[in-house]
Amino acid sequence: MKKMFALALGILTAIGGFVDIGDLVTNAVVGSRFGLSLAWVVVLGVVGICVFAEMSGRVAAVSGRATFSLVRQRLGPRLGFVNLCGSVAVTALTYIAEIGGVALALELASSINAYLWIPVVGLLVWIVLWRVKFDIMENVFGLAGLALVVFGVSLWALKPDFASLATQALHPSVPATEGTPTYLYYAVALFGAAMTPYEVFFFSSGGIEEKWTAKDIPVMRSNVFVGFPLGGLISLAIAATSMLVLGSSGIDVESLGQVALPVVVALGKVGLIFALVGFFAATFGAACETGLSVGYSISQYFGWQWGKFVAPRRAARFHVVMLIATIMAVGVLLTTADPIKVTEYSVVFSAVALPLTYLPILVVANDTRYMGAHVNGRLANVLGSFYLVVILIASLAAIPLMVLTKAGQ
Amino acid sequence: MTGIPRTLEAKLQLLDHQVIDVHGEMVCMVDDLELRPDRRGHLHVTAILTGPGALGPRWGGRFGSWITAVWRRLREDADPVPGRIAWNVVTGVDSGIRLNCARADLAIEGLETWTAAHIVTRIPGAGHESDA
Repeated sequence: MKKMFALALGILTAIGGFVDIGDLVTNAVVGSRFGLSLAWVVVLGVVGICVFAEMSGRVAAVSGRATFSLVRQRLGPRLGFVNLCGSVAVTALTYIAEIGGVALALELASSINAYLWIPVVGLLVWIVLWRVKFDIMENVFGLAGLALVVFGVSLWALKPDFASLATQALHPSVPATEGTPTYLYYAVALFGAAMTPYEVFFFSSGGIEEKWTAKDIPVMRSNVFVGFPLGGLISLAIAATSMLVLGSSGIDVESLGQVALPVVVALGKVGLIFALVGFFAATFGAACETGLSVGYSISQYFGWQWGKFVAPRRAARFHVVMLIATIMAVGVLLTTADPIKVTEYSVVFSAVALPLTYLPILVVANDTRYMGAHVNGRLANVLGSFYLVVILIASLAAIPLMVLTKAGQ
Repeated sequence: MTGIPRTLEAKLQLLDHQVIDVHGEMVCMVDDLELRPDRRGHLHVTAILTGPGALGPRWGGRFGSWITAVWRRLREDADPVPGRIAWNVVTGVDSGIRLNCARADLAIEGLETWTAAHIVTRIPGAGHESDA
């Protein structure tokens, strides 16, 4: 009974924790402009994150080493450092976007300007990083994030023609109103949003925070293989409702309010409350995860003690890194940077940085010296290699497409 | 625990590995190794070297000498030596290097000590593990 509860809790947390500001914004933008013609990218991205999250989780459970420790071990100090700089830059950008997202959610709920919320949000996130127990942090925000299921309910309430939705999703084509480069640019953005690198830094380091061993692998797998795809369904529901409500009226998504609009149209005020709770939980939870990930990766590269399982004074450098990152994120946002724009860039740069993260994981998961009996099977390797090719293409195409389409305009 | 194999492939099994103390806390990375030849000319690992003073020279090039120079300038002693962990405290080599002493006894964590004293312990709650 207790085991079942832990299993269910893990899966629910994975569903609620899957979506972050990048998924919210990108799916709403894509839904309003491209309908479901990019749904295949969400599916591709979700399968990809499952493959690599499982691999990094397994490596962490068996070897007791998190992703960045292994990145340095495999790539050596120099190449490892280049990797560290790229990954930390992208994760910090995502951190900025998430904190901005929390502020936008609070602005929607309170009508108090987001820029007044930003320092408050920064402080709250930092308090959680400093003081709140790891599993409580994960469970509270993951479960509250389940409120986003309201997008699925809205889709139902909007009574669309499901057959035509399915046709659109299964036979993707570039809409007449958009050019092919723009379509591809958003494909890359959506892929980056689904496979954001911080997710594996956080997932593998979280495994060590929770003291996983090889015995925990089945539970970890169920979280990944059930929770993530169900979380991906929320992404698709956001895109679908956005298409139905915003796409037909020609509204461009430029604010978090517009992301919530389909829910309001479908379910009214009650729906909006759920959407707001979901926005807050998803972005706040992801802000904590990205903030921690910045600390995790830098500490792991240098071999410093890290983690919430020891008192801050025993992991002083780790906490100082997170403190600096938080102050910097608040500072950047207070230059009146638009959080939605920051989010859009963060997902594209995530796509650029993907190979840095995923190649070393694939290499280590194949190392019998570490993994023993838990080394990658054939399926994991076939999928892993396939995704490495996809990731490489997305990474190389991201910047040229961004320049070519003026960031998707 | 695997113990220590008699022969090790230093580059693959030691360099850039996490060092872990007797309580399971993380100490540092193996940034470099101290090797001494015996009478027959075989090289033996005598110590783990760590910190910018060890990483800088191994890095090489302009960036490496810059790291070393900054590290030297920040040290109080005239001729600083890099952080050193004698090989005789090592008890095991697997995905990490395990020691039989505590990290505080090694006196190699300059930055950690400084940040702990000047920043972290001045914030309330620094001495407690995260709790609700």
